[in-house]
Amino acid sequence: MKPAPTLSTAFLYPAGQSLPEPLLALRKQRGTALVDMPLPTRKTENWKYSSKYLKLTDDMAISLPAEGKTGSSLAVPGYKVAFLNGVMMPEACEYPDLDGISIQSFSDLSDEEASDLADRLDSTLDNKAVQMARLNSARFEDGLLIRLKPDAVLDQPLFIVHEVTAEASGSAFPRIFVDAGRHSQITLVEEYISSGSAQVMVNTVTEFNVAEGANITSIRLNMEGENVQHIGSTGVLQQRSSRFESHTVGFGGPLRRHDLQVRLEGEGAECKLNGVVVTQGKQHYDNHTTIEHVAAHCNSEETYRNIAADQSHAVFNGRIHIHQDAQKSNADMNNKNLLLSNGAEIDTKPELEIYADDVKCAHGATIGQLDEISLFYLVSRGIGRREANVLLTMAFINELVEQIPVEAVRETVQGRLNHFFEQTFQEA
Amino acid sequence: MATTDQEVNELIKREYEHGFVTDIESDTFEPGLNEDVIARLSGIKKEPEWMLEWRLKAYRRWLEMDEPDWAHVGYPKIDYNSISYYSAPKRKEDMPQSLDEVDPELLKTYEKLGIPLHEREKLAGVAVDAVFDSVSVATTFKEPLAKAGVIFCSISEAIRDYPELVQKYLGTVVPHGDNFFAGLNSAVFSDGTFVYVPKGVRCPMELSTYFRINAANTGQFERTLIIADEGSYVSYLEGCTAPMRDENQLHAAVVELVALDDAQIKYSTVQNWYPGDEEGKGGIFNFVTKRGAAIGKNSKISWTQVETGSAVTWKYPSCILRGENSVGEFYSVALTNNYQQADTGTKMIHLGKNTSSTIISKGISAGKSSNAYRGLVKFGPGAEGARNFTQCDSLLIGDRCGAHTFPYIESKNKSAIVEHEATTSKVSDEQMFLCRQRGIDPEQAVSMIVNGFCKEVFKELPMEFAVEAGKLLEVSLEGSVG
Repeated sequence: MKPAPTLSTAFLYPAGQSLPEPLLALRKQRGTALVDMPLPTRKTENWKYSSKYLKLTDDMAISLPAEGKTGSSLAVPGYKVAFLNGVMMPEACEYPDLDGISIQSFSDLSDEEASDLADRLDSTLDNKAVQMARLNSARFEDGLLIRLKPDAVLDQPLFIVHEVTAEASGSAFPRIFVDAGRHSQITLVEEYISSGSAQVMVNTVTEFNVAEGANITSIRLNMEGENVQHIGSTGVLQQRSSRFESHTVGFGGPLRRHDLQVRLEGEGAECKLNGVVVTQGKQHYDNHTTIEHVAAHCNSEETYRNIAADQSHAVFNGRIHIHQDAQKSNADMNNKNLLLSNGAEIDTKPELEIYADDVKCAHGATIGQLDEISLFYLVSRGIGRREANVLLTMAFINELVEQIPVEAVRETVQGRLNHFFEQTFQEA
Repeated sequence: MATTDQEVNELIKREYEHGFVTDIESDTFEPGLNEDVIARLSGIKKEPEWMLEWRLKAYRRWLEMDEPDWAHVGYPKIDYNSISYYSAPKRKEDMPQSLDEVDPELLKTYEKLGIPLHEREKLAGVAVDAVFDSVSVATTFKEPLAKAGVIFCSISEAIRDYPELVQKYLGTVVPHGDNFFAGLNSAVFSDGTFVYVPKGVRCPMELSTYFRINAANTGQFERTLIIADEGSYVSYLEGCTAPMRDENQLHAAVVELVALDDAQIKYSTVQNWYPGDEEGKGGIFNFVTKRGAAIGKNSKISWTQVETGSAVTWKYPSCILRGENSVGEFYSVALTNNYQQADTGTKMIHLGKNTSSTIISKGISAGKSSNAYRGLVKFGPGAEGARNFTQCDSLLIGDRCGAHTFPYIESKNKSAIVEHEATTSKVSDEQMFLCRQRGIDPEQAVSMIVNGFCKEVFKELPMEFAVEAGKLLEVSLEGSVG
């Protein structure tokens, strides 16, 4: 048997040294784990459908330089934090001093704060399942620490704009850690964009530590270019009666991967995960979600929709794991897929793993096409074929787009969707 | 029947001794596997040269393969060199001489299942007059089959008597490099069944009855090949509801079905091998590769299985739907109790136009068992207008068992439609209350509810078996309530 490919030693490249000492130590320690790290192959179960898209060449090993002007001058209807190639750009950030809420770059932390953070990084993720997140832990150049004191409420959404400038090949390792105190509330928008055209990899890790009664809304918008391989991991740890809501909207690329892991550790916690994925051309997108019902009386609701056009490839893998003591759990997972072309491929695997008996769990998955009868109905009423296609496709995902609680994001998404419709549906 | 635990234990012990007394060098191979062993095995069976070559090719390939570890089951590592790969059938004097010598627990179970007396003897391995038996079988069943032109014999006979048919189809559905256990089976299969139904023939009887009486010890590496020629129909039933005693712990069988144009094969399995004791000790490992190829237009392959036995089950009866308009069906009830583990499901590979498949899977877990459904529904680029419907439901009895679902769905054709749904529930307090209120005791109530849960699958079984299957669930669930 051929030995499994391992991560090239080029990726052990020493990163910048501007972080506080405890974080440098942590990074170094995680780095030793990267030696001979096996890369996912077709035989790696959770990369079965996506490993062939992962192309890490040695010239992508270096960290992209955190210099230059950020192009992300876009105005946002809220507070804004800007990152360039994984490093925070204070001059491009716009947020006031907020009561009970601190938003800091990892580089600005005191040794004491950094040491506290170092103890908690990676604590929300199952590293075995998200092996590529280990690369981030060993290589992050900077990061964002958001801390909410008990009862703190952020009155406007916080936009975190992550930009990569792909002037030359390289990688960026954005990192976010959110520590939400009891009964705090925040709405967070992560937006991933890119400029330039060199082959780059973006490897992100976002972690949420959600204390009792806290309420978090997380929106993730993936809109990078055709030259960006994106591997993102999000970990969520929820305590009693907390609520986590996630909206993922992704447009495909050469490799797009997002792992979302939620652990319901306190009774009465609930989470709601929504996702929309649109792929075209030869694009790829892979969403992997895991919901761990550890405590009793928790609810989870998951709805993902994929649309694949042309020769693109969309993957969904949802896993619900009900632990032995998680009695009275409610879990509902739903994945619907629309195949718009014969060259496109959709792979889905909604998994249930259940060890408690008094639970209500259901999952459903469908793959299909636009309904000919509905199309006929619209066309027979004088609506053009193209328009009818757009209407029905939009109807397929509108339910989810509509639920995104930030209007500006909805508008951005709609703009991108219109662009997609224009390219996909021609006037007959 | 007044029996003490001691008596039972003694009997069990005695049976064990018998297992080793037969160890006469001439009819049992030394444990171990190598090319010589395979050559000797092939020689004893008087197989032609090509068959030996085929086995050796499979063996060499097998050596390069790894044992699969992805299934949701755990079992101690198997040492393939500690198994004896050939053992002649037991001699009559070593078998129990009458039913009085058989474990009374076993007899009690036969009683509950309502198995006819003469069959009980056979099932318990009592030395009945084999000559009488085979003569009666020959006259009752062989004649009408021969009249219809149906070939129904052991695979060893088929290799000798119908080499062209065997050569043409053996290994075409499950090639020897398919998976670890299929590779092992291809190298060392001991015996099995061969069925050929000629063009346009509707097999005059369910091939079950014959098999049940004739369920001789075909060994742990069974190989079955069923070919339904154009426009033919055959229904085959494997296994039986009675608990099977078997000293072989590892079972790695391969079943291949081939359906040509307009042909239909219905394959039903009732499996109730020894699941190990209440602490999970012992029990059979059942690692089976079953696959049907619907290569002809309008052909149909239907799998129905009721799985209640084995300590570990690893089994995915599959359909490759290559022919236009071909149909695949999978109906399954898998019940696990105590420490049993099952990882079972199906694969529906849609390659041809307008192919359709239905999957109905019912998993019931009780005690400390683990029961997983693992399925694949795949549409190739050529599967225009293909259709699949999947429903897999799990029922949990007790709070220390597990029920899992791992459905893989892959589509490369935009006109293909797949629908998958799964639910998990338990026997609800309301249902139990309703039954109890009407004077039904808890065990019976659970059995009624479970039977209702499985009804969709039972109705696919041949009638007399559906009744037995219902009783079988009842017996298997004993002790899981209250």
